[in-house]
Amino acid sequence: MKNGKVLLKSLLASVALAAAISAQAGSLTIASPQDPGSWDPIDTFLVNWASVATNVFDGLTYRGPDMALVPGLATAWEENEDGTRIRFTLREDVTFHNGEPFNAESVKFTFDRLLGEEGAQGPQRSNYTAIDSIEIIDDYTVDMHLHQPDPVLLTKLAGYGAMIVPPQYIQEHGSDHFAIHPVGTGPFQIVNYARRERVELEAYADHWGGAPRLDQLTYRFISEPSTAIAELQSGGVHIVIPPTVPIGMIDTIENNRNTHVASVPSPTVEALRFNTESGITADERVRRALIMAVDREAIVDSILAGQGQVISSFQGEFSFGYDPEMEPIPHDMEGARQLLAEAGVEPGASLQIDVRGGDATFGEVAQVVSSYLQMLGLNVSIRGYETNVLLNDIIPEGRTGEMFQQKWGGWTFDFDNTAYLMYHTGERWNPYDSDEELDAMLNEQRSITDPARREDLLQSIARYTQDRALEMPLYSINALYGVRNEVQNFEAAPDNRLRLTDVYLED
Amino acid sequence: MGKFLFYRLLQAVFVIIVVTLIVSFTIRLTGDPAVMLSQGSGSVTEADLEMIREALGLNQSFAAQYVQFIQGLVVGDMGRSFVGGAPVMDLISRALPATLWLAFASLAVSIVVSIPLGIKAATSRGTWVDQLIRIVSLVGLSFPNFWLAIMLVLLFSIVLGWLPPSGMSGIASFIMPAATMGIILTATNVRLVRTTMLDTLRSQYIMVARAKGLSNTVVLYKHALRNCAIPLITYFGLQFGGLLGGIVVVERVFNWPGLGSLAFDAVAARDYPVLQGVITVLAMMIIVINLLVDIAYGLVDPRVRKE
Repeated sequence: MKNGKVLLKSLLASVALAAAISAQAGSLTIASPQDPGSWDPIDTFLVNWASVATNVFDGLTYRGPDMALVPGLATAWEENEDGTRIRFTLREDVTFHNGEPFNAESVKFTFDRLLGEEGAQGPQRSNYTAIDSIEIIDDYTVDMHLHQPDPVLLTKLAGYGAMIVPPQYIQEHGSDHFAIHPVGTGPFQIVNYARRERVELEAYADHWGGAPRLDQLTYRFISEPSTAIAELQSGGVHIVIPPTVPIGMIDTIENNRNTHVASVPSPTVEALRFNTESGITADERVRRALIMAVDREAIVDSILAGQGQVISSFQGEFSFGYDPEMEPIPHDMEGARQLLAEAGVEPGASLQIDVRGGDATFGEVAQVVSSYLQMLGLNVSIRGYETNVLLNDIIPEGRTGEMFQQKWGGWTFDFDNTAYLMYHTGERWNPYDSDEELDAMLNEQRSITDPARREDLLQSIARYTQDRALEMPLYSINALYGVRNEVQNFEAAPDNRLRLTDVYLED
Repeated sequence: MGKFLFYRLLQAVFVIIVVTLIVSFTIRLTGDPAVMLSQGSGSVTEADLEMIREALGLNQSFAAQYVQFIQGLVVGDMGRSFVGGAPVMDLISRALPATLWLAFASLAVSIVVSIPLGIKAATSRGTWVDQLIRIVSLVGLSFPNFWLAIMLVLLFSIVLGWLPPSGMSGIASFIMPAATMGIILTATNVRLVRTTMLDTLRSQYIMVARAKGLSNTVVLYKHALRNCAIPLITYFGLQFGGLLGGIVVVERVFNWPGLGSLAFDAVAARDYPVLQGVITVLAMMIIVINLLVDIAYGLVDPRVRKE
């Protein structure tokens, strides 16, 4: 009798164990720093929306970690001569998670909604204002009519506001319901969403690209880096996604025998921009001298632990408009001294650098920059602001010191997204400068549809900003992922848009 | 009693208005939520920002926005979060229980530990036991709670693998957050219990009790402790209120889905409705706790009841 019980117990235990292992094999958990609060594509503005929703929704086009634009829900597209119409051929036999079919009607509904009254209440609409209307040609063909050509549009159709949503479902349940019970055509469907805690996804077996290898995918919202990394080390999560892992914790992750860091260049770039209107930095020679005085390679190596690349203009290597031939202004202390003397700057002249007070890594960078500038005999002070105050008041109102921190990046990886907003006269992020020649180039590149010509022009713009020394370009930073070793086939996405169709766990 | 409650209610309304007015006004001095909302998007124009402000109701005057908030509050509607549009009531009703449970657990830990230790210190006054207890509690008092939290996680989650490092998922997940809060409270409470007990032990009725030949245990726990209760209850009650405010750091480190992390994120995102909601609820709770403390006096002390 006793033996029977023991046997039964061990039998039960082994069954439970087997169940645990098989569940483990297909169930992945990710730590994400922020709950976007709504899964509706037109509401979104957060990168961490996309790190979940790229699994749930599809766009007409798709761009994966390799940055190549490939067919998504559209199998082919063709632009007319003057770039004011794009004709899309749509994929057939695609269904939304609720069984609703995908067709031309879904595309029209999606863009009518984005560009209409509902979209106007969210932050996504402004990215798609080039689109005038969608015309249904037949069930699987649509024409997208444009107000003016938008060279970045096809890329923008691969994400965020352009994700295709189900018309019947939204009309039936309303947008409020859709925001927390979203339905898309992607490889995973959301089955449970506990606000501010977690969102649970399940494989959608009928996905047009084939069923994902994982059965379940859970995102836990953990904002504190040390907490997320403790979860990673203890096995509570398998992947910690950016922007969570600080440079200072790379060693902690690498030294643990179960975890490692996966890193890839991200769109995020940092620069110290100049007040070109007043103070000593109004003089171009002074600006150039300041750039020359700072050894940016040394900063990347020592403070970023090599997790970044020195940049020559305000963009990283994946950016459209990046010119591999263009060199950064070289580090040359002696040249800097001469230039400064030429400009008539007296020793002891004061210079203030405004930074985001909560950004510890950049705080160190600013310290190093200031010590280089002090070697020039300048009297440098660093002023830390609360991030929101710096972004919303100090910079747009033109109340910064001679230099100020600007961190920038956009998932489209197109220099237009940076250059226009930073250099065009009257833009929010350009409180000091006005340059007609630059304005003309910035306007012109927006109307060119030939990618090669446009890339040329964007590269010229980058060179022009370097010639005028409009900012001190520092570096592009890597996106850092903390990953457990049992995770297989994971490819770190530069833009944090994760699509985990091929990922699986090894026992 | 009716009059007492009426005044308390008036007082509550006054406190809530003052507190929310200050918070709503000052948060609006820093940062524009419309800009925060559109940061991930590429090309935002002033016109787009204006459209978002209008959708959020931010184009109205502060007075109008505040009146709207109070009107909503009266009918139990606190508006919607700027981030994702969730009703503030939903967010709070999810977060409040998590915070309350944690606060109860922390206070319970601290009371259970600090009363016996405090009494022991008082009765062995001047001996090495008293010294030891006082030094240990001073050390406990000097720990920053985030540091303590991280050390606990390091030991119990990463090295030993016994406890989940974060989140609220069953009894085990309460142990570290409650201990972190509890240890720091205990440090203060031991000293408080000790001092109160010393005062009480000097009084004449204790001498009488001893003279009657009552056992030490009865004197301490029946006569002395009961008389210590009034200042202790006041203090524990206030501490509970303070706990609700001070829980932010601990909730953040342990990723606890409570009011503290809700408030933290709301400040970071300039999510006015959520912040106003959380502050209102916290103010209400502190008022209620004070009321409960007053009622508790009556329960332990017959003299208060008669008044």
